[in-house]
Amino acid sequence: MTAALFEQIRAMASDLFGVPVEQITAASSPQTLENWDSIQHLNLVLAVEEKFGVQLSPEEIEEMKSVGETAKLVESKLQATPR
Amino acid sequence: MAIVIQPYGPEHEPAVQEFNRRLQRSSDDPNLVFSKTAIPRWLPPAGNNPVWNEFFVALDGQAVRGAYGLKQEVVFIRGKGLHRVACYHHPLSEGIVDRSYASVGALLARDALARQPLLYALGMGGVERPLAKMLKALGFGLTRIPFYFRVVHPSTFLREMRALREERWRATLMNLAAATGTGWLAIKSVQGIASLRSRPADFVAEEVAEFSDWADGLWDQAKNGVSLAAVRDANTLRILYPPGVTSTRRLRISRNDVATAWAIIGERRKDEKFGKMRVGSIVDCWASKENMTSVVKAATQALEKDGVDLIVTNQSQHAWCSAFEKSGFLKGPSNFIFAASKKFTELLQPLEENRPSFHITRADGDGLPANF
Repeated sequence: MTAALFEQIRAMASDLFGVPVEQITAASSPQTLENWDSIQHLNLVLAVEEKFGVQLSPEEIEEMKSVGETAKLVESKLQATPR
Repeated sequence: MAIVIQPYGPEHEPAVQEFNRRLQRSSDDPNLVFSKTAIPRWLPPAGNNPVWNEFFVALDGQAVRGAYGLKQEVVFIRGKGLHRVACYHHPLSEGIVDRSYASVGALLARDALARQPLLYALGMGGVERPLAKMLKALGFGLTRIPFYFRVVHPSTFLREMRALREERWRATLMNLAAATGTGWLAIKSVQGIASLRSRPADFVAEEVAEFSDWADGLWDQAKNGVSLAAVRDANTLRILYPPGVTSTRRLRISRNDVATAWAIIGERRKDEKFGKMRVGSIVDCWASKENMTSVVKAATQALEKDGVDLIVTNQSQHAWCSAFEKSGFLKGPSNFIFAASKKFTELLQPLEENRPSFHITRADGDGLPANF
């Protein structure tokens, strides 16, 4: 995963979950971030789709179990999408 | 393992019961339970019925991690005819009690939208509740449906209305008002002044065992006065209010032996916020504008005769709101929300022009079995 992409997802997670960006790591997940509940998970899905112009399938939504996994997913989606 | 959402079948019933047990172990909310049976008790699919309920479960292998219901129905939209839509109800996710499943709520809502893009939800307990927030994030338009009430027995109301008595000073004042009769006087005055504005009507109200052809005539006469309404023809009404069901009652209102309107009334199940009060509800009503006040009067009189302490109703159509206000009903704070998906909202355009004549009541959505 590229550092630039990870930083974008990290900033997005910081905004959504109300946590300073320096406290967000690749391992940050619903178990470690208090505000990462069902609604914020949906907001993360919608934010990713809007920012990167991708459409996430139910399987992909479920893969977003941490900030790092979300970044990996977005990267693979962008690589698979003809630009 | 990937989560897969499927129609709820009898083979999933044990896993749903286990899902319910996990939710109940981690929460003190008794409402966090999904239907134990795959076939809905209320509105099971049957023949060519135009309205029915169906359930879906989110499976993680053999385990159920979420579930929701869709009430399939047909709505009339002025100028755009009849459309099949669905009410999204009872979504439950294991994410409520276990963050590992935080994605399930989004999966359920998106699955419902994929099955029926013309989707709505109703009630939800207010715009700040999780479901309303989630639907708003998905682009649903939210509309608050006004709430009206009429106090029949002021002293009981003042003693029992727990939602208003949460602060001690207010409870003390209400006790004092109940004991001295000043509360009675104040409530009766406000309601009395309001009800004096309406003229007495020359109608006859009778309880009927079931809806028949006369209801089709009323549906056709009044539907062009609304911009949105779930179909309320005789066939649909017989399914929603089948003969023999006594939790709600059907009133037929007529003038000179001609049916002019109908109303559904019922006594609500006991609810903590109403204390020991008997709460009657004007659940639904249907009439052309000129007959609305007579319906409100007939329904109110029937519930007062039953001995209820308070009468409540939710009405979205401005003409009905006006009829209730003219009949001495007071407007209260409402947490009854109508949320329409993006596609549904597109059909309802121009929204600002159409919204005042939406006909949405407590009979819509999934509220009937939960409240009566």
